Amino acid sequence: MRVIDRILGRRDDTEIAHRLHHLEHHHAVDVLTIPSSDVARRRLRATTVGGEEVAVALSRDQTLFDGAVLVLDEGHALVVRVGEQSWLRLVARDKADALELGYHAGNLHWRVRFDGEALLVALDGPVDDYLVRLGALATDGRLTHSVVDPVQAH
Amino acid sequence: MIQALKSEAALGPPSLATAARIGIGGPVGSGKTALIERLIPVLAGRGVDLAVVTNDLVTKEDAERLRRSGLIDPERVSAVEAGACPHTVIREDPTLNIAAGDTLEGRFPGLELLIFESGGDNLASTFSLDLVDWWIFVIDVAGGDDIPRKRGPGVLRCDLLVVNKTDLAPHVGVDLDSMLREARGVRSAKPVIATNARSGQGVDAVADAICRAVLFAP
Repeated sequence: MRVIDRILGRRDDTEIAHRLHHLEHHHAVDVLTIPSSDVARRRLRATTVGGEEVAVALSRDQTLFDGAVLVLDEGHALVVRVGEQSWLRLVARDKADALELGYHAGNLHWRVRFDGEALLVALDGPVDDYLVRLGALATDGRLTHSVVDPVQAH
Repeated sequence: MIQALKSEAALGPPSLATAARIGIGGPVGSGKTALIERLIPVLAGRGVDLAVVTNDLVTKEDAERLRRSGLIDPERVSAVEAGACPHTVIREDPTLNIAAGDTLEGRFPGLELLIFESGGDNLASTFSLDLVDWWIFVIDVAGGDDIPRKRGPGVLRCDLLVVNKTDLAPHVGVDLDSMLREARGVRSAKPVIATNARSGQGVDAVADAICRAVLFAP
């Protein structure tokens, strides 16, 4: 099993991009897809899109990212693709409900972003798992919810 | 172990990789320290060079227990006093634990595995992936067979769920098979292992899971 212990660079670094372009013509660029919830791991084993089982063992000062190049040699390259993060967009009906929503999000240690009057919650599971934790706020219609396209959330 | 794998694979430049870091969390009294006491000789027997960082609220009780155990060089055990909610130092701000791990790695070159034991907490406790690469959550049969149904983040999100104290099931009115079935049901495809840390039952399977996940054993 190939053990990868360092990130060689970014796929859009000029020199790397040139070499990747050449390898792509020979169908020699493999992809390692990492779910967004796993991108902070320094160590993991996974199977590439091309079917190779690899082990990642980075030093503590490196983290994976979308476009990280893990292998780059004469006849083969491996590039990381990070799965997109979905977000649950919650809009409270009024200020009192917004206060309550903020309390729940903090108490539940959810990862959040702010978007104007909306609270975006990083989805690491089914939407219903999140809504049920909000109790009456969700069941009494005191907030509206939608799932945000990952591209829009950036 | 990982060095051996690398030399077999002849992967070019020397490794910069540091020790694998795993977490072991779970409620008070579920058997986290007992599990570690069982894991140490099993992992050592497989040639894994390891050290432990314990977390307690305001004492070094778990670290002292491990240091006195005779199972591990006392110098290889560090203690972090959380001072407040135990999950804050493994999730919100794991700086103290990261520093303790870095110190142990500096002191013991060649270290392959660092085990971070959380202080006893509740079912919402989870580890930051800034601190660990992979983590175990330990619950126990005597805590009640309804624990998996409560869908706590610790139970749902851990990489491996350990259900400990299986020997107590008949004494506390728990249907172990049903409890394990429910645990697997809430965790999708993620693994669940039943253990009795007192007798050692199931500990080899936990060691297998650790070695496979972060030390890349076959």
